[in-house]
Amino acid sequence: MADATVQGSHLSKSFGQRSVIDDLSFEVAPGEVIGLLGKNGAGKTTLLELMLGFTPPTSGTVNVFGHPSQRLPGAVKSRVGFVPQQDELLDQLTVADQLRVIESFYSHWDGELIERLCREWNVNTAARIKDLSVGERQKLSILLAFGQRPHLLVLDEPVASLDPLARRQFLEQLVEISADGERAVIFSSHIVSDIERLANRIWILKNGRLDWQGDLDSLKDSIVRLHIRGAAEAVAGVEVPGAISLRREAGFATAVVRDWNPEVLQSFQGAHAVNVEVESLGLEEIFLELHR
Amino acid sequence: MSAIARLVYAYFTSTRLACVLSGGGILLFVVSLVVVFGMPQPEDMVVFASAGQLAFFLGSSNMPLMAGRLSQGLAARLLPQGRLKLLLSMMVTVALVALPVVLLTPFAVIAGTIKVGVAVDVARLAADPKLRSFVIDMTLVIYTSLCILAGWLYLAMWFVTSQRNSAGFSKALVIIVFLVLAPTQEINDPSSDAWTNLLQLGIAWIVFGTIFLAWPRLKNWRTRSWIPGLFPRAWAARSAGQEIDLMLGTHNPWMYIGALLVPVFLATRIGQFSPAVWLYMLTIFSAVNGAISGQAAERSRALWLRAGWSRSELFARVEASFTRHNSFVLGVLLVLMFGIGWYEGQPVAMLAAGLPLLILGTATSTYLGLMLTRGVRWPEALLALALMLTLMTLPLMLDARAPNVTAVVALEVILAIVAIVLRFVARSRWAAIDWTECRRPRDARLAPG
Amino acid sequence: MFVLKPQSGIPIYRQLLEQVRRMVASGQLAPGTELPSVRELAIQHAVNPMTVSKAYSLLEAEGLLERNRGRPMTVANRPKNAAQLSRRLQQVRPLLEQTVLAAKQLELSEADLLKAIREIWEE
Repeated sequence: MADATVQGSHLSKSFGQRSVIDDLSFEVAPGEVIGLLGKNGAGKTTLLELMLGFTPPTSGTVNVFGHPSQRLPGAVKSRVGFVPQQDELLDQLTVADQLRVIESFYSHWDGELIERLCREWNVNTAARIKDLSVGERQKLSILLAFGQRPHLLVLDEPVASLDPLARRQFLEQLVEISADGERAVIFSSHIVSDIERLANRIWILKNGRLDWQGDLDSLKDSIVRLHIRGAAEAVAGVEVPGAISLRREAGFATAVVRDWNPEVLQSFQGAHAVNVEVESLGLEEIFLELHR
Repeated sequence: MSAIARLVYAYFTSTRLACVLSGGGILLFVVSLVVVFGMPQPEDMVVFASAGQLAFFLGSSNMPLMAGRLSQGLAARLLPQGRLKLLLSMMVTVALVALPVVLLTPFAVIAGTIKVGVAVDVARLAADPKLRSFVIDMTLVIYTSLCILAGWLYLAMWFVTSQRNSAGFSKALVIIVFLVLAPTQEINDPSSDAWTNLLQLGIAWIVFGTIFLAWPRLKNWRTRSWIPGLFPRAWAARSAGQEIDLMLGTHNPWMYIGALLVPVFLATRIGQFSPAVWLYMLTIFSAVNGAISGQAAERSRALWLRAGWSRSELFARVEASFTRHNSFVLGVLLVLMFGIGWYEGQPVAMLAAGLPLLILGTATSTYLGLMLTRGVRWPEALLALALMLTLMTLPLMLDARAPNVTAVVALEVILAIVAIVLRFVARSRWAAIDWTECRRPRDARLAPG
Repeated sequence: MFVLKPQSGIPIYRQLLEQVRRMVASGQLAPGTELPSVRELAIQHAVNPMTVSKAYSLLEAEGLLERNRGRPMTVANRPKNAAQLSRRLQQVRPLLEQTVLAAKQLELSEADLLKAIREIWEE
């Protein structure tokens, strides 16, 4: 794609002997919202850091807006917003001062947007940062990334400390941001329900590799749970190709299948003389099944 | 450009206290300059102006911490030209903070001439070319010296405020020692002029600037395979069962002692010092040694949660841990004092006075640190300042031709009493310690040695 | 207007598709009714706008919705005819399948089931 926002090619990263990211290739186009899922320690933060040039890859390349991530020019940096996992606020300052310091680095800061969000999100601009609660600090970190209206927004567990109301407000704002279809958002979160609402592509990082990299909709269609019922012998003899897991009891079996093709349902039922009910799974269930 | 201005403004106005210090300092400075012609004793003006200048400097004392935090952050790496602007903001701050002295020097000269009784004809004075060049030269020398001093002080403050453990204090120590050594060198060999200073400034900033700008790249090299092998993390917890020491940061006095020996060794190489100066340095070391107890309060919260001790028992154990750590260091300091004293043939009186002085230095600062259960507030800060000044004056008192032994002994007795009182206060505070009033434990994330 | 459940195994766009189809078929969404814009719907339900626009595009391709320049999508004018019947039956088919499956598990006969359905119909 000519104008990919982020592009990675055979990206690998090891720390000493330990390999964290192994041969990843991916592309992010404008308008996409990518949900990055993975167990703790799977390498999500490392991947995001590689993308933004905080650390060099051991091998492979990653480009942002066409530039290698290690050498992003200032103009490109001003189009990227990042919300880190641990906030980087200056405790001594007031919220307003912190906003002004960060604002001074950017030529196109949307002051009205920030003002409106401060009101809607109940952020007290006169408060000292060291007196803020963890949730308020996180809200401020998010605001600092939104202010320059970035074309690439990268968020690393941005809502871990927010209450459900604050999370919903954040999601709504993220929806607004991605509504014009020109901005790309990549966010990693453990709160699967948020990703389910917002992402249209999912990356599942497992053991340093992208176990799944595709549309959320296709993911939900591809991984299903089959409930198989029939006579005991019939069920005992059933083999399910592409099954991630299979559990059998007398006359009843459950299998979770990857790359499910609905067209084989009829023939499968006929061939094995069983009744099959197909259950589609939510994202959290899918994640759990993939990591069993 | 506006980012740099905004950053510098933030450094001087970070907290309410900073605003007061910066603004008040400038105001005091300007007023004293204006009033000079009306004062009977014009040199008083210099005192007030200097106080104003000092306040102005203190107003910006958050700069190292803020700039450091910004430069360490991941988000800061994404700020367009972030590192460069941060570096420039630091340079501007240093240049700005030493600026009042540029105004002070000509006024001080005028005040001097007023005192001497020469007619006050400022216009004629200004027209005198010899006077003009003298004033300009002196101004430049003082300004550049002050820039150098400010730079080093900021660096020392950075080590102390950002790490707040023995490693951080050690690094700050090295700098403070150099700051102490450099002026004494100057006194022995006064050859500084504006150009030498500028050269020094230039080299220092170029080195610092290069390291600062290239730091991300340098850090990336460290994660490559072979370099970590050169710096094994072998200093980490080796002692078994000393969980208390681990959690308080006192498990490894040897690292601290090692860092101590470096400046001492350098000092022996550099030149001859009077015994008093040696004692002065060692006293500073002993005081800073005790100061690591300042973090004890907030670090002990986890200890208290895990063990079945009451707050008073906790205090006893914390005190024991710090005493153990500090006595190692104190022991080394005493050996140094006696060793250097024997080598240089120092008077017995000096050594006799020095022994209790070093012990008192550690004791008072340890208990002062333990007293900090509610963060650092005015009483504690003033007390620390007073203690430091006293500790620093004692060696200098001993340096006189006929030292006033009674005064020295009296002061030391007073210090001993102060140490006992501080211990009492610390113990009673710990009996009712409220951990939400200590600094936030999240800052401890910046810490472990 | 719509009920969207992001955590369901059914992709959001498909939930929207089916609901619009059902509502158009039942007449709840009369021809000419304006649907909320992509952006409005996305913000209201806190879902990705591309999901909504995907559903809308598919509905437009099916002929159920009409795009008007500068204005939100509206329900198309379509005459009710026999082709609609099969589509409406398609809507209830999944429910019927579930009912039949449950009946078989409970070992009810086809006749029992049809009798029960008739009773319910006449209520």
